[in-house]
Amino acid sequence: MSRPSFDHATEAFDFIDRLENLPSPQEVMKETANSFSLFGFENFIITGIPNPKERFEQAVLLKKWPAGWFETYAREDYVRVDPVIRLCRNTVQPFEWSEAPYDREREPRAAEVMDRATDFRMKDGFCLPIHGINGYEACFSMSGVDLDLSSRTKPALHLMAMYAFERTRQLLNPLPCRGADLLTPREREALMWAAAGKSAADTGDILGITERTVTAHIASACQKLDATNKTQAVARAMQYKLIRI
Amino acid sequence: MTRVHVITRDNRALYEECIQQFYRLRYQIFVGERGWDSLRGADGLEIDTYDNEHAIYLLAIDAGRVVGGQRLYPTLLPHMISEVFPHLVQLGIPQAADIFEWTRYFVVKERRTGRTDCRLLAAMQEFCLEKNISEVTAVVEMWWLPRWQQTGFKVRPLGLPQIIEGQPCIAAAIEISAASLEHVRELAGLRGPSLVQQAITSPSAQRVPHAAA
Repeated sequence: MSRPSFDHATEAFDFIDRLENLPSPQEVMKETANSFSLFGFENFIITGIPNPKERFEQAVLLKKWPAGWFETYAREDYVRVDPVIRLCRNTVQPFEWSEAPYDREREPRAAEVMDRATDFRMKDGFCLPIHGINGYEACFSMSGVDLDLSSRTKPALHLMAMYAFERTRQLLNPLPCRGADLLTPREREALMWAAAGKSAADTGDILGITERTVTAHIASACQKLDATNKTQAVARAMQYKLIRI
Repeated sequence: MTRVHVITRDNRALYEECIQQFYRLRYQIFVGERGWDSLRGADGLEIDTYDNEHAIYLLAIDAGRVVGGQRLYPTLLPHMISEVFPHLVQLGIPQAADIFEWTRYFVVKERRTGRTDCRLLAAMQEFCLEKNISEVTAVVEMWWLPRWQQTGFKVRPLGLPQIIEGQPCIAAAIEISAASLEHVRELAGLRGPSLVQQAITSPSAQRVPHAAA
């Protein structure tokens, strides 16, 4: 290993302690940049994963990205084709960028985003998906050229990333992604039971509320989701991952 | 309407049927769904050393049906972190009269919309606040950590994550506070307490135990 070895466990616990006292996202950015540079990381981004109605720029919580790359990524709407983002949606485990599959032939845009990232010294990376409550999805993705990524360092990075994400989320907004709280818990519940084949009357019995109230929740969900009826609302809610079956 | 019932050695006689359901669900979820092979047995029930007279169960029950559960156990006794997972802890195992270990948490599949989770989390904190329990410790799969944090839990790691049954897991301590209880209630739109405590000497003992649930 090129770097002098340091105690990554102690670094992780100290980092988590330090985060607690940081007053602003800007300070979290600096502290995170410092600590992760010990593992060779040069860049990172903490972002919500935008639903189809949101723009990427609105979902970003915190970033230290090279000048030019953020603008390029946003302009090209790479978030829709990025294989790292795609894998993020489908796993709860952290992964290396090289583990995010795509087909170079059939998915030229996916290849493009990975290639152009390399031009910005974002050669290799490590990504932690966050699957929160209410369908909230986010990730912490970090990268560099010469990374100290091993079975020894990954658990420390995993834990540090999770706490850096949480501190950032706390400082910015309790629930930063509008997509996540688009529907109220009751609206989601009503749609879940509709998806399971229950009538409004059945759902009312299950939830201990009247049929009329269930119908009102579903009507309100339809409006928010731009859906013309219950079936379309269920389909949209599943597509946006606001409900799961 | 789902309520969370406190079951201890003192009132367990009221809940024998629910406890059996709880053991069966634990088997279905931890062995069947999650594939914890070390718990696999022949009878379709998952019961371990810590299901003894010291265990406190907080079960979400809806019309006699268990839809979620969790267990609290005193850390002054040998418990899972001290006996089974001490290698997960690098920062000292918390053991005190007001610290309990929190295990066997689950919600049945069709109730995983978030609200039942929030109700169980709220009930656990209500119980702890009432009994002056200041902290609970737990071993949890890492992907759960942000969910806890988003419900307002203040979580302190006890060590670095390690792979258990194929999943990165961590030992952690959660500080119990009125503020975090309020946070989860607000998040899920829960008004008032979720806990039900039936004493065996009360008139309700004469009734079928969960007919009113």
